[in-house]
Amino acid sequence: MSLPLSAIVMLIFGAVVLYGGLAYFVYRAFKGKK
Amino acid sequence: MAAVGSAVGLGNVWRFPYVCYDNGGGAFLIPFFVAIFTAGIPLLILEFSIGHWARGTPPHAFRKKGKKWEWAGWITVLMPFIIATYYVVVMAWCFSYMVYSLDLRWGSQAGGFFTNFLGDTGSPLIIGGVSMPILLGLLAVWICIFLILYKGVKRIGKIVALTVPIPTILLIILTIRGLTLPGAMEGISYYLTPDFSRLGDVNVWLAAYAQVFFSFSLAQGIMITYSSFLKKKSDITNNAFIVALADAGTAFLAGFAVFSVVGYLTVSQGIGIGELAMAGPGLTFITYPTAISFLPFAAAIFGMFFFIALLTFGIDSAFSMIEPISASANEKWRISKARATGIMCILGFLFSLIFTTGAGVHLLEIVDHFITNFGLVTIGLLECIIFGWMFRLSKLREHANETSDIMLGRWWDILIKFVIPAILIILLIMAIINNVTNNPYPSYPGWLVVLFGIGPLLIIIGLSFILMKIKGKEAEVT
Repeated sequence: MSLPLSAIVMLIFGAVVLYGGLAYFVYRAFKGKK
Repeated sequence: MAAVGSAVGLGNVWRFPYVCYDNGGGAFLIPFFVAIFTAGIPLLILEFSIGHWARGTPPHAFRKKGKKWEWAGWITVLMPFIIATYYVVVMAWCFSYMVYSLDLRWGSQAGGFFTNFLGDTGSPLIIGGVSMPILLGLLAVWICIFLILYKGVKRIGKIVALTVPIPTILLIILTIRGLTLPGAMEGISYYLTPDFSRLGDVNVWLAAYAQVFFSFSLAQGIMITYSSFLKKKSDITNNAFIVALADAGTAFLAGFAVFSVVGYLTVSQGIGIGELAMAGPGLTFITYPTAISFLPFAAAIFGMFFFIALLTFGIDSAFSMIEPISASANEKWRISKARATGIMCILGFLFSLIFTTGAGVHLLEIVDHFITNFGLVTIGLLECIIFGWMFRLSKLREHANETSDIMLGRWWDILIKFVIPAILIILLIMAIINNVTNNPYPSYPGWLVVLFGIGPLLIIIGLSFILMKIKGKEAEVT
């Protein structure tokens, strides 16, 4: 069974907001420490 | 890191996937993200700002706003203490199941095994005996909490450097293993396929706000206490974003670990997901272990990984629930940290004993239901009212802005003063209506529900005023 397109869209949406956002703020934290 | 550890707990692994699935699958992510940015992060910033500004525990911080408000600070530290008394019992279950994973002792009847393991009498009125495996696990967890906390904040830092990455790595391994199982996509599809028609349902939005509120360890005095340890130049706003996104990201990942294995179970057993126990203890101690038993190889290892991940996720949250009250006692009465922690751990252990009996799981359900639906929401509302309305909120905003280059504008004041209180009031009203119209425990006598549900809340309120009145030894707050 393959994943429906709508589920793939939600997967990408969730991953980008959560992990992309986390990576960005962790990067800012490290940048701020330098 | 400690704040991340506190926020990420058992609730992320079983609560988020279940709530997400129950409220429109992938569509739930939309209200969930809205809730993160309109309530979760602004409240985290508020709590971080309070602790960082007051440089002390919640009773100290509320007293700094005015002596008459100290009771509100005590409520916020007593509430997580009560939560810890049953949270640690669930960890004791995980501890036993970690050992049972070695030989997959639950066999093919995980449901019956779980009932026997609990010594469940089937009624909260029949206490039955104390379950020895749970008692031993309980003792082990409380001793761990004491050993982590009694020397103070430095040891917390060392522990979370292990207990945050280890379960995350284990969760990633479990997710990869889960996704490679036949039928995994059935589960993932169930988890993520959006039902957009649910977006018009107010209950879905309330569930999203409730999930964010409980998952972020808000209104428990934990974030206020931890942020008081932050360096003066720490970027409060950036930290709040990191904690929120790490917490939500872990929950999102846990959904893949859990639903991929659940999908595999449905395919291998030829049953529908709807027939499986998906909520709370059912998912963690019945459905998931059953799925583990069906794994083609290394089932014991993956079973152990799962329960070690739960234990290590849980331990940060557990000790963070004890830290605010022991730190508050240490701060107000100058009781040594070791002594304050020891007293709290012994008291916690004694209170936990009731949940190790045959009636334990039923009583746990009642206490948890009332604390999460009413207690935490009320404290969140109190924080917004006291810091948003009784005093100049802009002072806290300016304090947060001093250390951050993400500038908080007046929008933050509006969220804290109007939007979040409105949401919390609606949550409270809905919870009251739901409890009145649909008795959550129709088979239990009313007096018992009042005793274990409303009783702890009333005791916490009364005790907070008593603790406020007891004269402290700390320097006068100016």
